[in-house]
Amino acid sequence: MNLRIISANLVVKLTSFYREKSAMLFTIAFPIILILVFGTIFMSQDNVSYHLCVQDLDQTNSSAQAVKTLELSGTFKITRVDPAVNATRYVIENQVNLVLIIPKGYESSLMQRMTLNDFKASVTITYIYDPSSSSVATKMQILNAVLAGMNQEMSGYPPFIRSVQTSILTKKYRFIDYFVPGIIAMSVMTLSLFGTVNLNTELRQKGVIRKLSTTPITRTDWILSNILYQFILAVISTIAMLLVSYAVFEVNLHIDAWLLAFILLDVFAFVGIGMILTRFVKEAQSAAAAANAISFPMMFLSGSFFPIELMPGFLQTLAKTLPLYYVNEGLRASMVFEDNMAALRYSMVIGVFVVVVFILGIIATQWEEGK
Amino acid sequence: MPKETEYAIEVENLTKRYGDLLAVNDISFTVRRGEVFAFLGPNGAGKTTTVEIIDTIRTPTSGKVTLLGMDVTKKKHDIVPRIGVLPQGFSSFDRITVRETLQYYSRLFCCANTDIDELIELVNLKDKTKEQYMNLSGGLKQRLGIAIALVNDPEVVFLDEPTTGLDPRARREVWEVLLGLKKKGKTVFLTTHYMEEAELLADTVAIISKGKIIAMGSPGELIESNANYLALTLHSVDERTFEIVRKMGFEPIHDNHKNIKVRVEHTDDVQKILNAIKSAGALYLSLDVRKPNLEEVFLKLTGEALREDPPEMEAK
Ligand SMILES: Nc1ncnc2c1ncn2[C@@H]1O[C@H](COP(=O)(O)OP(=O)(O)OP(=O)(O)O)[C@@H](O)[C@H]1O
Ligand SMILES: [Mg+2]
Repeated sequence: MNLRIISANLVVKLTSFYREKSAMLFTIAFPIILILVFGTIFMSQDNVSYHLCVQDLDQTNSSAQAVKTLELSGTFKITRVDPAVNATRYVIENQVNLVLIIPKGYESSLMQRMTLNDFKASVTITYIYDPSSSSVATKMQILNAVLAGMNQEMSGYPPFIRSVQTSILTKKYRFIDYFVPGIIAMSVMTLSLFGTVNLNTELRQKGVIRKLSTTPITRTDWILSNILYQFILAVISTIAMLLVSYAVFEVNLHIDAWLLAFILLDVFAFVGIGMILTRFVKEAQSAAAAANAISFPMMFLSGSFFPIELMPGFLQTLAKTLPLYYVNEGLRASMVFEDNMAALRYSMVIGVFVVVVFILGIIATQWEEGK
Repeated sequence: MPKETEYAIEVENLTKRYGDLLAVNDISFTVRRGEVFAFLGPNGAGKTTTVEIIDTIRTPTSGKVTLLGMDVTKKKHDIVPRIGVLPQGFSSFDRITVRETLQYYSRLFCCANTDIDELIELVNLKDKTKEQYMNLSGGLKQRLGIAIALVNDPEVVFLDEPTTGLDPRARREVWEVLLGLKKKGKTVFLTTHYMEEAELLADTVAIISKGKIIAMGSPGELIESNANYLALTLHSVDERTFEIVRKMGFEPIHDNHKNIKVRVEHTDDVQKILNAIKSAGALYLSLDVRKPNLEEVFLKLTGEALREDPPEMEAK
């Protein structure tokens, strides 16, 4: 190992990286786009809010107050429908699935109930709905629950059965918090794997490796500088992803040395696999195809995007044989659940994998060609 | 310390097989210190294979190769700092500039306090120091490759086809650089398809064909021993001249431009032919007398042309 040679290699690689704009884009912009796209999709799942049309035929202070209460429940986004239009036609013409109608006489019935304690006084709220819409049933159930709450409130008695929510997690976490570590693990994998495969096949095809073999640089120096370079890229890429996640989605993630450790393990594992690939697949194009064939299933099967608990049993078993699964779970253990013991366990599994793959990778890397 | 011999390179019974293909077939030769040694041969002759075995890129199937007194298969580590290599089809990092590239390679060699400016001057790349490798023309890339081969001030320089693919001017510029190396007393091992190059630069030429060395010596010796004649060409002759020469016992050849070519042994024969033409009152416009070159030696030895394109002098 020679630090002078390794740093010379690093300078050349980082300079090339800096000057090649498309590589920059791939390293930084691509993971950020992933975070933005998937983050937006999952965010809307986190804060479900339904669109609700309300037609207030009463047009009094009390009816307006009722609409306001619905709005303040936070579950609904209210659109007020002009009392003059026909609600059924409105549903058809505007392609909404539900209009709630507050009848005329709402305020007077309310007065009768509240001031005269006349229990016979009541109002009927009508739902005009489109049964062909798939989400309308859920919407009406939630609406019923909200209306029941309002009824209970008006009765003036405190409720008998109360509920309190206790999460199994010590802190509240959202899907995006779960998702970001998966994307980090996946991006670092892709960068390391493709970076190694592309760099090595390209330099070998161009004969640069042949030239290097007539200089004092050793195989170990070459591989170490490669790792270090990929690690720097992975860190840059991770920082970019985290910044965006914090700025746009206000994620709640715990960052400590485990993050660096798992990035390093991720880099080692997939640089190792890349080195083995380049040994057996000579052509640049087929090497890239082989890298795809490895990384693609890994992305979807190892739980980068969603918890593997959602997958059928045999796929869960399969996931546990994939190295990326342990990086995913390890990162989540440290960043989301702050569970150091779990992080340690996962890091040991991937650590053993890394040692094996890396030794194979070093053996596979061939300096002299056409022996 | 290995013993310092008179020879920079000693090759004994070197053989290289690729599967069934015998690429280098039991060759032996030596290269003296300070000489320019050229391997001349057509495509696939085994030049690159031989050079890359000597400069430690490939390994031999059998035979012994000693470079600077060291066995190339055992002492790669000690040999590498003392040699400089321009591999065939050299290439470098696309987005790294000329100066940065030279700095990079010089840092790979321990303690090489290379004077990069001097190197840049030597290969005439002063105006291009800030140019990225991918923006250089073929000739400039090749010159940078030669400069890289020199960053560690090597004792032996290997240049595998340094001028292939260059235009005549760029080729001449590379020759200038190589002549400079020769003056500095470097041992240079050169491979080429171009006999002009070998004739101009080399002290010793080895002609290689199908993995075998078929002739070796200085360019002069090779020509002397394999093509010991003069070629006389008479331009725009009239009909009588052909007959006159033929009757004198020579074997003139007509070409389609009203020229005739005659092979003669001595300059005296030229004189005799010219006198005979003059006294007969026959006419010719001009003439030239030429010693044959390595191209013809090669043709004679192998029966095949060195390159696919027709040799220039036949075209006139
Ligand atoms: N790595 C290899 N594997 C298999 N065959 C090879 C390999 N390298 C060269 N050969 C074969 O060995 C023979 C000699 O090749 P070599 O490259 O030494 O020729 P060369 O004289 O350098 O030719 P050129 O002028 O085209 O560079 C050729 O037939 C070539 O196809
Ligand atoms: Mg060659």
